Amino acid sequence: MSAGLDTAPRTTLRTRAVPPARAGRARRRARPPRGLKTFEFAMMAPALTVLFVLSWVPFVILIAMSFAKVRTLGGVSLTFTGADNWSAVLGDGAIWASWARSLVYFVAIVGLEMLLGLAVALVLHQLVRARSVVLSIVLLPMFLAPVLVGLLGRFMLDSTIGLYAKILQGVGLGDDLLASPSTALPTIVSIDVWQWTPLVALILLAGLTAVPPATLEAATVDGAGYLRTLVSIILPQMKPIILVALLVRSMDAIRYFDIVVATTNGGPADATKIIPIKLYEFAFRFNNQLGKAAVLGLTMLAFSIVMARIFLRFFGERPSIAAGDGGDRG
Amino acid sequence: MAPRTDAISRRQLLAGGASLAALFALQACSTGEKTETPKGTAGGGDPWKQFSGTTINFISENTSPSAAIAANLAPFEQLTGITVKVQQMELDKVVEKCKLDFSSGTAQNHVIYADPYQILAPMADGLADLRPLLDSGNYPAVDKGLGDFIDTQLQATGSFIDDKKLFALPYDAPTMILHYRKDLFEKYGPRAKADLGFDPTPSDSMTWQQYLAVAKWFNENARSDVAYGIGAQAKQHDALQCDFSNVLWSFGGDYFEKGQSLGLRGSEEPGAVTVGSPAGVAAATFYRDLLKVAHPSSTTWDWTGLADAFVAGEIAMCPNWHEFAAGEEKAFPGKVGYALLPKGPARRAHIFGGTGIGINANAKGDELGAAWLFVNWATSPQTQLMSLGSKVGGGTPTRTSVYELPEVKAEEGKSPSKFPNIRTAETVLKAWQAENIGLRPKVAQWVELDTIIFTELSKMLTRGADPAATMAAMQQQMQKAMQ
Repeated sequence: MSAGLDTAPRTTLRTRAVPPARAGRARRRARPPRGLKTFEFAMMAPALTVLFVLSWVPFVILIAMSFAKVRTLGGVSLTFTGADNWSAVLGDGAIWASWARSLVYFVAIVGLEMLLGLAVALVLHQLVRARSVVLSIVLLPMFLAPVLVGLLGRFMLDSTIGLYAKILQGVGLGDDLLASPSTALPTIVSIDVWQWTPLVALILLAGLTAVPPATLEAATVDGAGYLRTLVSIILPQMKPIILVALLVRSMDAIRYFDIVVATTNGGPADATKIIPIKLYEFAFRFNNQLGKAAVLGLTMLAFSIVMARIFLRFFGERPSIAAGDGGDRG
Repeated sequence: MAPRTDAISRRQLLAGGASLAALFALQACSTGEKTETPKGTAGGGDPWKQFSGTTINFISENTSPSAAIAANLAPFEQLTGITVKVQQMELDKVVEKCKLDFSSGTAQNHVIYADPYQILAPMADGLADLRPLLDSGNYPAVDKGLGDFIDTQLQATGSFIDDKKLFALPYDAPTMILHYRKDLFEKYGPRAKADLGFDPTPSDSMTWQQYLAVAKWFNENARSDVAYGIGAQAKQHDALQCDFSNVLWSFGGDYFEKGQSLGLRGSEEPGAVTVGSPAGVAAATFYRDLLKVAHPSSTTWDWTGLADAFVAGEIAMCPNWHEFAAGEEKAFPGKVGYALLPKGPARRAHIFGGTGIGINANAKGDELGAAWLFVNWATSPQTQLMSLGSKVGGGTPTRTSVYELPEVKAEEGKSPSKFPNIRTAETVLKAWQAENIGLRPKVAQWVELDTIIFTELSKMLTRGADPAATMAAMQQQMQKAMQ
């Protein structure tokens, strides 16, 4: 922000120093080239083609599949079925229940990881001597593959051989956490939070270290306590980095899959069957139901876009009026 | 901003995308053909060596027989000069990988562990018909012929609807029987007999009600030696459907009107769904009662979890696949007994989980020929005998001649045994008799039906849903899936 304020007068001075005719030519030269028949477009074309093939072609196929019965064995064939897949998916109570569970997961995972990640980042930020050692230890879980974390959770909580299960039995909590619908969901959330809180902490720690010390010193001089400094100075300055952490984790939370499959496989009683598991069933387990899987994929994409827009609205940087044309008028 | 004529409009972009998509789809198309019978050029006339130098991939569920085969590949490689790479994983993953492989028109995996219900029935088009290979003079003949395979198993694992085609040769034959700790029954048997009024030791005459009573007795009287009397494989998983099916059939229920006849060749018209019948509800009610006294972690166990709990000494008895006998013998040498599953009001039933190995229909040329030689070798009596004695696994032979070998007969019931799985032979041979075998319906929609069955059962067991409502919901969803 301060950089933006510094830039405006310099630009004004430079513009004043250049004669109007030359300034016009300079503006024309600076204008970005447009159109398909330009050298710049030709240079970008290979990368754009790869991008197109990797993102738009599957997207278009996905839309086509959502309106068709898809057979893959004996040659791929799409038989147009109108909106049958959409009405079947949108009219299925089990899928809405699965969406409700996914929302609970989403809020729990993202909420807990952001809060705990911030707490860990603040503690690490206060450390001076052993920070790198502690940081290395804290980051360890996120280097494991999610499926391994799921298996680790399953074995640690196994009532026959699990260390955590034995500890819980020792304190009188003998029930198997993954066996009951009421505890399976929180258990899986805890496993994911254990793995990915370090990533959030790492991102937020980077944001914390970027807060200018002078601002913090000024706040201290003005008599602000730690909490006030955190809420009024640190967190507002960290909004862009919080947005990054939110986007990274929320996009991942929507696709949450490995740990559920490795631990409960969606059970017990569908208590952990979230939307990605449903999609997997339609696409890879059931016969000829790729059309329904495509509908679920598209609804997940729509959900991701909506969530990203909401986060951008609350945490995104809005262009300052002073930095735009209005600034010159003043 | 004014519109520019050379810019790509959204409509043009979507149209271009759709065209490209259609192009990709067309390129991915392949057509079904009669299986070729390639003749190799290597080996100087030795039919086993004709595809020497070829590498093939075998994808399998992580079962004891596959572990044994993977550890004993050297004889095949010496015999043929063919390199075999074995991938083992959970059955769900095998199904997923096969589906992708068959659909892609390629043969990443040449030899397929073709579960008859989850791979053969829904994806028969993706498997090569083995008849032309069997009938061709280009290859070594199948030792002792197809007649040496146990007939029920040949039909159940190898055919689907069209009996002129054969998609797989019987490779393993896991079947659920009752596993119990003989040492515990020897210790507590007399007291339990006095309390219960019948011999509690599992035998051919045991009923499901007696099994339940013995389970309760162990829970109340033997905690110092074993945590619970029984365990079950009741995770929301295929295992739960398998465990429940034994009870369903023994109570006189079945999934379809055509019942057990669907288990051999399968059908596209299995008749009406009948799982919600009074017999089905009675079976579900009993199964719920059984799970109330079973080890509480049963709802997190599939078959492997249950086997682990058994060898960890957590339970006194349980129904499980007989191929786990080898592991149990290691944990409790000579202390594990095997019996037929308890009887219900209608019959006794032992679910058959056998699987054949087949060939990816996309395999061509030398890879197809090499895959056939491997299928032939892996299901031969000599290989099945070798697998029986494997240190890492333990086979479950599908050949009559193997069970009749003197050295195999000599090991029945012996402990320690060279062939630990054969300790179950006496029981399992009885379980395979027509009146005792339990066969799931072989229909193309089975995976979806299976998911409906185990999900509804899981709701009944963990959320306390009413058995009648559970079976009604199961029936209604199964009918919808079959439409």
